Amino acid sequence: SRRAGAGPGVMGPAPPGAAGDPEVMEPTLEGTGEEGKKVSSKKRTLAGSPVEGLLQPVKLSRAELYKEPTNEELNRLRETESLFHSSLLRLQLEELLKEVRLSEKKKKRIDAFLREINQRILKVPSIPEIEVNKQTWLKLGSSPLQQCFTVKGRFRFLPPVQVMVVGSYLLGTCIRPDINVDVALTMPREILQDKDGLNQRYFRKRALYLAHLAHHLAQDPLFGSVRFSYSGGCHLKPSLLLRPQGKDEHLVTVRLHPCPPPDFFRPCRLLPTKNNVRSAWYRGQSPPGSSEPPTPHYNTWVLQDTALESHVQLLSAVLGLSPGLKDGVALLKVWLRQRELDKGLGGFSGFLISMLVTFLVSTRKIHTTMSGYQVLRSVLQFLATTDLTVNGISLCLSSDPSLPALADFHQAFPVVFLDSSGYLNLCADVTASTYHQVQHEARLSMALLDSKADDGFQLLLMTPKPMIRAFDHILHLRPLSRLQAACHRLKLWPELQDHGGDYVTAALGPLTTLLEQGLGSRLHLLAHSRPPVPEWDISQDPPKHRDTGALTLGLLLRPEGLTSVLEMGPEADQPEAADFRQFWGSRSELRRFQDGTIREAVVWEAASMAQKRLIPQQVVTHLLALHADIPDTCVHYVGGFLDALIQGLKETSSTGEEALAAAVRCYDDLSRLLWGLEGLPLTVSAVQGIHPVLRYTEVFPPTPVWPAYSFYQRLRERASLVPRPDKPCPAYVEPMTVVCHLEGSGQWPQDAEAVRRVRAAFQLRLAEILMQQHGLQCRTTATHTDVLKDGFVFRVRVAYQREPQILREMRSPEGMISLRDTPASLRLERDTKQLPLLTSALHGLQQQHPAFSGVARLAKRWVRAQLLGEGFSNESLDLVAAALFLQPEPFFPPSSPQVGFLRFLYLVSTFDWKNSPLIVNLNSELTVEEQVEIHSSFLAARAQLPVMVIITPQDRKSSLWTQDGPSAQILQQLMVLAAEALPILEKQLMDPWGPGDIRTVFRPPLDIYDVLIHLSPRHIPRHRQAVDSPAASFCRGLFSEPRPSLLMPVLGYDPPQFYLAQLREAFGDLALFFYDQHGGQVIGVLWKPTSFQPQPFKASSTKGRMVVSQGGELVMVPNVEAILEDFAILGEGLVQNVEARSERWAV
Amino acid sequence: MAARKRKRAAREAGESLPSPPGYSAIPIKFSEKQQASHYLYVREHRVREGTKSAWPQQRTLFVLNVPPYCTEECLSRLLSPCGSIQSVELQEKPDLAESPKEPTSKFFHPKPVPGFQVAHVVFRKPGAVSAALALRGPLLVSTESHPVKTGVQKWISEYADSVLDPEALRVEVDTFMEAYDKKIAEEEAKAKEEEGVPDEEGWVKVTRRGRRSVLPRTEAASLRVLEREKRKRARKELLNFYAWQHRESKMEHLAQLRRKFEEDKQRIELMRAQRKFRPY
Repeated sequence: SRRAGAGPGVMGPAPPGAAGDPEVMEPTLEGTGEEGKKVSSKKRTLAGSPVEGLLQPVKLSRAELYKEPTNEELNRLRETESLFHSSLLRLQLEELLKEVRLSEKKKKRIDAFLREINQRILKVPSIPEIEVNKQTWLKLGSSPLQQCFTVKGRFRFLPPVQVMVVGSYLLGTCIRPDINVDVALTMPREILQDKDGLNQRYFRKRALYLAHLAHHLAQDPLFGSVRFSYSGGCHLKPSLLLRPQGKDEHLVTVRLHPCPPPDFFRPCRLLPTKNNVRSAWYRGQSPPGSSEPPTPHYNTWVLQDTALESHVQLLSAVLGLSPGLKDGVALLKVWLRQRELDKGLGGFSGFLISMLVTFLVSTRKIHTTMSGYQVLRSVLQFLATTDLTVNGISLCLSSDPSLPALADFHQAFPVVFLDSSGYLNLCADVTASTYHQVQHEARLSMALLDSKADDGFQLLLMTPKPMIRAFDHILHLRPLSRLQAACHRLKLWPELQDHGGDYVTAALGPLTTLLEQGLGSRLHLLAHSRPPVPEWDISQDPPKHRDTGALTLGLLLRPEGLTSVLEMGPEADQPEAADFRQFWGSRSELRRFQDGTIREAVVWEAASMAQKRLIPQQVVTHLLALHADIPDTCVHYVGGFLDALIQGLKETSSTGEEALAAAVRCYDDLSRLLWGLEGLPLTVSAVQGIHPVLRYTEVFPPTPVWPAYSFYQRLRERASLVPRPDKPCPAYVEPMTVVCHLEGSGQWPQDAEAVRRVRAAFQLRLAEILMQQHGLQCRTTATHTDVLKDGFVFRVRVAYQREPQILREMRSPEGMISLRDTPASLRLERDTKQLPLLTSALHGLQQQHPAFSGVARLAKRWVRAQLLGEGFSNESLDLVAAALFLQPEPFFPPSSPQVGFLRFLYLVSTFDWKNSPLIVNLNSELTVEEQVEIHSSFLAARAQLPVMVIITPQDRKSSLWTQDGPSAQILQQLMVLAAEALPILEKQLMDPWGPGDIRTVFRPPLDIYDVLIHLSPRHIPRHRQAVDSPAASFCRGLFSEPRPSLLMPVLGYDPPQFYLAQLREAFGDLALFFYDQHGGQVIGVLWKPTSFQPQPFKASSTKGRMVVSQGGELVMVPNVEAILEDFAILGEGLVQNVEARSERWAV
Repeated sequence: MAARKRKRAAREAGESLPSPPGYSAIPIKFSEKQQASHYLYVREHRVREGTKSAWPQQRTLFVLNVPPYCTEECLSRLLSPCGSIQSVELQEKPDLAESPKEPTSKFFHPKPVPGFQVAHVVFRKPGAVSAALALRGPLLVSTESHPVKTGVQKWISEYADSVLDPEALRVEVDTFMEAYDKKIAEEEAKAKEEEGVPDEEGWVKVTRRGRRSVLPRTEAASLRVLEREKRKRARKELLNFYAWQHRESKMEHLAQLRRKFEEDKQRIELMRAQRKFRPY
């Protein structure tokens, strides 16, 4: 059971995954964990499915496999082959549709509710005619409109002449959750007057109509809630939301939309070129030059109300043709929703997508025999290839010359898709950015479908793509009221008039265009959040435009454009130069270039990679201030908040890419020296780096060391420095390992021990020559030579190609030589063969994706900060980070560490490690067929494989880098922590008013540990790398300036690591130890519950235990009190105190 | 917790300590300062009749649960009051067989990090064993006269030790290689002598040094031969020739589809159980 007192930690109560608390533990794999086998019966019944959620290879009898097929079976197989991608996909889609479809039972309940509503509405009493003015509202309850211009007219309430269900509910394409039923109420003609279409009078009457309805319906006990909202997000058109009483409250929302009687408005008055909001009325003054600006959006909103019925008739006629079309629409709705494209004003709604399907049916791109999958595919294909911002489409078949031309619509709207009447643009509110985002998503999805990936379904329809995880950088504009000033600065009065004063929507288009132009080659895609549709109680005032929070823009960056700090303009004498100057304002300056031209140019200040990544921030804030009067205090740019966690100690401007590159350059110099060495018996044939620094994934890059000799004890005859007991621990210097291959030779001995001696001789010789020929300080052991070069220390290991082979050779009694892997041969092969390959592949990846280093290092930093670093090998975490770049689907490869890190957390927390290998397709060497093959062989060999399986082209079977861990418990713990960290971090970053403490998710929960060993910072060499870096630490005996150094600095001296090694050796079978190697000040200890069971005496397992008599029997239990004292003894000087926190061990 | 403290107090008051049958327990502490102690479980080293043992019977004390900070010298100092000691050997696990006594090189076989160990202590006289069995303790590992280094002190001295003398390494490598070369030369000479000479039954050994090269006797080579044979056979076979072969390949295709279908169904089942079809 859970221990008492385990209150929520920094990240909430995290279960102690490490030591096997059975209640919170997922079922573990058979034969992989020691403690995991006890699965509580509760869990088992919950899971209830195939053995412990693990896929088993299918076993079918011969008779079953080879029986005669029935006709039905053959048909199904044929259908699957022709209509779907694979049988798996077909089954998956069927399951998904089952999940989102409305059940018949619920439909019946909804139908009953609708009948009730119909009766109630028709019974609402009429009122006599009144004058429309400000006081009208008081008689009817409150106003669902934000602004009340003076409107002259007369209004009365009469029950609607027709109540009709329109929209997806009727068509059977609505999807769970949030079932909405749209009901159109046709107002009687008596309510309306002539010229109601002018100056918002129709909208006013529509609102009054609803207000009266709301007032009466709210008193009815049938409804759980009666609230206002806007139809389609348009603030001039309120709608009334009705929800049932009681437990059905969340079952359905009925939305009432009043609409005019048919043929009341003449469509020719509502053309996109016509004006229906007079300036004299709206602004109190006539426009200069006497021509009224057109009001296309206003006109569209009126037209939308008139067309409700005809649209639903058209849709039901087309979609009723086949179930495949309906399936397709439902799938597309899921697709849109996962991408957050369908919500808000100007979203790409389910209605639009149904209309698009109808259009494709009418143009015969979709056939009625198609399956839902094929419909999905065809629509995506159409979207990916058709740009509606340039070539609009129309459902109207008539060639009547009186109809408006498509070009008129293109003039007025960014995206054009006309309905069957030819007057109404269905995409009127969709912005160009939204449509481009839809196109971008469609293209990505098509690429995914074409790649025939096995898990296309999962990525396409089941993976949510929230803005923060989909875009490299995010920026919030807040407060929104600032956009009102922006509208004035951008001279958007006609647009405001058209949008009825909605300054957010009016400013959106011009602002995105401005930023797109400014970001130019740095930008791949710019998207904006759509203002959410508010919902409010009928007794309250409607929320204002500024109350919708913030406007959020997402930037998808182009890595190749990010490297340049220069914006090159036209030559100074060209006419375009003036435009350029006008666009960039004071930032534009004349510059002479190397080719002799003098041009206008903008230069941004950025020295490091990290700063270059943030140039878009400079661009955005500059342009917004210049052109839209939005000061930088109103722009909250979220792009580099996490950089602080991978910045070096004194670096605040760089995230370490430059320091890593400097180390790699030094390594290149060294390898050139090694190649050119003269005097070695065999020449050097290859030099390969294997250290994480050399693949850009070391969290804190090394800096050159210049030791201050007085700080150390000197070993003159060995030219080395040794730490002094009376000083704090010296700086930590980790040598970078480099493998040095020699040319082939037959002279090597064929005996393992002798090979080691010869290798040692090579190491000695190497040191001697480097010292003589290049004056480099060297230190040799039997296995490696440490070389000091320009302040960096490299550990050169000489390798003999055939050595793993020799270690593998076994001679059978008959004299047959066979090869068997041994631990030693595998280790050697890993270090001298696979690791160099991996290092160079990841080095290449970094050249392709400059953000890789940042992502991998943030990820590693986080895992280690959670004290789980030792469970995961360096390489395995690097590979997981690489997977984010190589298989980014359904996203785009990350271009900033921030988004990459969020996706890392998402991947780690959601990946099904039990049933699938993570394939990291380095250099795209694996073909699709090979990947399928890997999947199937994975299932067959699951029990023998590690808990976490990572496959690379070089390592297709064994998952080399996860062989030694993590254990099932540690992996589970990581998944839990990642799942908790992700929403916290995303919420912080999406908060328009600042992220708060960004380090929150990096602080580990400590309340789960049984014992905490606090360490003294004096002997933690990497103290200042801690997540909460201390303001001051101890002197570590280094100069900051380069000095000639003749003595080898102290290498690899890290007391906490020595201490941990001793603890694990002595108490490894009683407890687990957790520590953050980057400056952790505390070691967390978890007792293993199984070792605390009293055991009978056994000579082989007395370690740290004692014999006690329990109920007359002699049993062994851990000698905890002595062990706690041992913790302090073994770490004498390093340990500050040992804090025993739980009483669990008290047996 | 309190109950444990009381129990411990009772034990320290001189009651006999609980120990497994055949063993006696000796408390051992790091120094005076520590409150709790570990327990060494000791008995006389005995083996069954006829089993060979590296340690002399009757004179050897077998010690279990030696704490990590207790070295061989330490143990020998602690037990020397019982009688003069011939040798102390620490091992990771109790092991009857003789431990590898070869002189290990500090260059090529670095000392592992110690944990809890077992020890065989050989006294010069048999009487010392019973004296050791009667020890009451508590033994102190580190005293003022003989301090034992742990923690930072120990790591610094270990670091200093790890800075090796390259000259010593060179000398060791040279001596080893000299011996190795000599051994190889001898073997070669012997092999050359036996070359082509039939043994007592008249068999002549074929080696790779002969004039005609022969197949090496390795597993890989024999597998290669088998593989080649198989390929040769496969080339001769006719496929898609007879009507039944057509029929069978069609059936095979169907079976494949069925197998795939079953697999997919199982996956779906699993995903359904994990609620993987909830899109949001």
